[in-house]
Amino acid sequence: MDQPLSSKLSSLGLISQCKLKDILSSCGDKKDLIIDPTLIKPLERICGVNWLRQHGIDKIYKMEPQLGPTANTNRVYFIPACIQKYKCVLDQISSLLSQNPDLADKKCFHIIIVPKVLTTYDSVLESKGLYGVVKLHTFSWELMALDEQLLSLELPFLFKQLFVEQNHSLLSSISMSLWSLFHVTGKPNAIFSVGKLSSRVLDMLEIYNETYARDFLDKNHSKEIDALIVIDRNQDYASSLLTPATYSGLLSELFNINCGYLDLNVKDTKVKKGKLNFGIAEKSEPSKNTMMTLDSSIDTLYGEIKHRHFSEVLSVLSSKAKLLKNEDIKALGIQEIKHFVATKLQQVSLFKQNLVNHVLACETIISEMSNKFENLKLAETEMLNNRNKKSNFQFVDEIFGTDIHIYNSLRLMCLLSLTQSLTYDEFNTLVSKYLLAFGHKYLYIFNNLINAGLLVQPSSPKLSLNISNLGNLSDRLPKWQNEFQASANKLKQLPSQPDRVGKTPSYVFHGGYVPLVAVLCNALLTSDTLSEVLNKLSVLSDLRVGGTILDRLKDGMETLNEKLSNLKLQSDLEFGCKDVKSLAKVLKSDPNIGGCFPLKLKTVLLYVIGGVNYAEIAACDVIQTNTGSKIYVASDCISSGADLMAANT
Amino acid sequence: MEDEDYWNTSETKAKAFSFDDDVLSTQEILAIGQKSYSGQSEESIFSNVSITTVKSAAVPLSSLVSSKVLDLILLAQSGRDPSREAKQEPEETVAMTLKRLTLGRSCSLHVHRSMKSKTELLDGALAIGDGNAVLTVVLFLIQTLNKKLVYELLSSRPVALNHYIAFLHNEGKITELADLLTMLGRSPEAAMYQFQHAVKTQGSLDALLRKLSNLFANHFQQPGVDQHQAKMIADYIKLLEWQKHINKPDLKYRSVIEWLAYNCTQHWHEGAGNAMSPLTLCQRHQISPLQYDWVVLNVHAKAGKWDIVESLFTKKDWLGRTTVSSHIPIETLLARLSELQASKQLLATCVNKIAGNDDRLRLAHMYKIHSVVIETLAKQKDRAALTNYKMTLSPQSEEYILAENTLRDASIKWKN
Repeated sequence: MDQPLSSKLSSLGLISQCKLKDILSSCGDKKDLIIDPTLIKPLERICGVNWLRQHGIDKIYKMEPQLGPTANTNRVYFIPACIQKYKCVLDQISSLLSQNPDLADKKCFHIIIVPKVLTTYDSVLESKGLYGVVKLHTFSWELMALDEQLLSLELPFLFKQLFVEQNHSLLSSISMSLWSLFHVTGKPNAIFSVGKLSSRVLDMLEIYNETYARDFLDKNHSKEIDALIVIDRNQDYASSLLTPATYSGLLSELFNINCGYLDLNVKDTKVKKGKLNFGIAEKSEPSKNTMMTLDSSIDTLYGEIKHRHFSEVLSVLSSKAKLLKNEDIKALGIQEIKHFVATKLQQVSLFKQNLVNHVLACETIISEMSNKFENLKLAETEMLNNRNKKSNFQFVDEIFGTDIHIYNSLRLMCLLSLTQSLTYDEFNTLVSKYLLAFGHKYLYIFNNLINAGLLVQPSSPKLSLNISNLGNLSDRLPKWQNEFQASANKLKQLPSQPDRVGKTPSYVFHGGYVPLVAVLCNALLTSDTLSEVLNKLSVLSDLRVGGTILDRLKDGMETLNEKLSNLKLQSDLEFGCKDVKSLAKVLKSDPNIGGCFPLKLKTVLLYVIGGVNYAEIAACDVIQTNTGSKIYVASDCISSGADLMAANT
Repeated sequence: MEDEDYWNTSETKAKAFSFDDDVLSTQEILAIGQKSYSGQSEESIFSNVSITTVKSAAVPLSSLVSSKVLDLILLAQSGRDPSREAKQEPEETVAMTLKRLTLGRSCSLHVHRSMKSKTELLDGALAIGDGNAVLTVVLFLIQTLNKKLVYELLSSRPVALNHYIAFLHNEGKITELADLLTMLGRSPEAAMYQFQHAVKTQGSLDALLRKLSNLFANHFQQPGVDQHQAKMIADYIKLLEWQKHINKPDLKYRSVIEWLAYNCTQHWHEGAGNAMSPLTLCQRHQISPLQYDWVVLNVHAKAGKWDIVESLFTKKDWLGRTTVSSHIPIETLLARLSELQASKQLLATCVNKIAGNDDRLRLAHMYKIHSVVIETLAKQKDRAALTNYKMTLSPQSEEYILAENTLRDASIKWKN
């Protein structure tokens, strides 16, 4: 097991393949695969069509309600854990059965559900009379290595479920992904969680560890990661709401990116699509656009520019173009040309193609964003620092009245609300304008945003007199006033001197803000003791610690059974991690309990629950360079601020 | 056919992909021929590289995990329980049930019949934090306890309650959801969930109108409901009623602004008071002058009716000069006019409205309004800057000559 960590991580797909093989082998010999369109790209990353064919898949169909008869009796459906899609499949099976009742006994229907089969799915199966006729399979694929040091579960629906609906049914999938990952990398000694969901993920991870503890699991397994940080998306919404200034960040503002593939649709960008079209509706053919692979190991040019501040990108590209020009083939002799064709031509032509694509992408970014970028960044920075509230509101209000965007304008409203708060009237002015533009049906979006914690509900002047609501209000109102700045200042997230060149992580937002994930990584990588880490992060209220670092504290060997039977009413389990406050006493006598700090391997895994964004990834890259470390970033998906807004619709 | 195309060209309507044995993927051809790539478009190299099976082979599976560990990973995914198949079922404790639920193993909750163990189940599931377990337990409680008892348990456990709300919502059991929330004294939320459900399962315009009117009468007039939300619903009903009355398929379910845009194109000349006049719509739906100006500008500019745009947004002042007059802030207006490819003259009129020389110069530069740059530099008597600017213009163009003439103008006292 002496392979470098990065190549191991990029091979995690092999484990996913085995998991899928295990399922397919129980689905009969020759079968049809009926796949939900959203799962095509991820599956492509796990296995190719040839592989599927080797494992008994005869034909492949896209799942749709009206799908007619298929080639084989054995059907394997492949869908995400979404109750509507699941029911749609069951309806289709029911209608097949009504035409051909004999099929019921043939055990020919299988549904593979990503990332897991929920208990309610079993009840639905039973209630539809399909229990025993249809077999459900859990497929929990492994994290996918999208780029160097970037891992994703590619489950883009998780943010909506976990944060908007507050339905944690699939949370265990995150624990499961960590559990199998650690079989490959070894368990990190120091584990931190920031946020409620993160601490639950660690608790469940511990349950997996306990249940599947086996003698053959090498306790002295080589450890390749020192520390794990798991963080909830809602611990730093600002980083999602702000407009990124890096190349990859801006790419995600304009283009759809799925599974690390970017759809280079320069005509109809996400910015254009989200605005009202006042012209005659142009019916454009769905054109097949160029796909760019956002993976530095395939596209080295992308690797060079992905984290750059956008203002530098074009000059890098043009210097590359000049280099290419110098490699003029005419200047070479015959033998040299032969050698060139045999060894370098393919590389060069690929490089050229990549160069052209990046230039196209840059042009699009410039034409759609350059006019507004400076003003937008200025307003955002003023909001972050709680300055000029009135003109910030005017700025947002003007956009709502003119060039309103279905997601990006909401994003600004949320940012203003979280950083400077909105009065009842301001809030409603924006709501009214939004509804006039996009339709009154969207009224519910604002409730969803409030539930997700992206917007703060302003108190109604009339309601505040209502006694029954008073408790609720005092909870919400004054606490939020400037709480953002208080905490951001303590964590040094608001730089006084803007940096736009990339020496400090704030450049990812044009010098205005340091993402929380960068602060966390930096604290871990620059501290000599655990106590120092916790001091630096003391302002975080939901911080917990776990891992072998606390082994000495384990009260005997408390198993899950004991934990549960000693559970106090409505308290947390603290099975996989402990509240920092409970450690204060121990840390006084032994500030570096566990002896993990300073980190020996300087290798940190950061896991964001609810989607990480490209600006955060770039910010971690700065910390990595400054501290001479390796930071691996993982999440359930890579999402932009607009994706977060879309999850509320 | 190559792999990538299988996915992308996937025809639905029961037309399957065919696996033709005779056609090799470009990758396979390369592997056999071991020749350098030729004769293919670069795009296809691109999509082939994207299939990571090649990359995955970098590390063999055995270097990742041992076969025993792999078996364990497969076991964990499947939710099978090796001990249970072998042994007799041990007595079910609350803790064991919860563990089985969390691990995704099959289990029956029906052994837990006392109120105490039911409560412990719920609290245990909440402490572990697995939503799947929480919801399973909640649904079990609903099956086996009377509603009042369940609601009592839920009302003091918000996380469990949220799971149940999400479940009812996703299942489309909106009446049950509304009853639950109303019973818990959260009728404003009940109203909003019903609203969301109604607009998402739209149906016919008539049905939607009926649903919304009922909702408005029964739920949005309650005390505690936000006044502004109630007003928005009332506005929505008003809008739909009018859309029904006008009965134009193009306008069905359209937003007010989209409707205004339609009226501006189709009924521009109808005066206030007429049903389809843009002005009537503005009054009925409190469209701000800013929004109105924006829509009018975009609609007419996109249709190429610049005469209308100019007549609306410019006027002559008492000295006979043309100036811009609009509710749209001048910088925003300028940016938009430039995007809409307005004439240089209109852009110049617009940027001239800006009083400060520096701001005007900056914007004139940005939108390449040469005449204004030249004029402003002349006003600032900045010969050096103007000379430099002249160099950036294409020789013998109109603006080049203007710059030259300005530089030669003897009446200007240059400061440099």
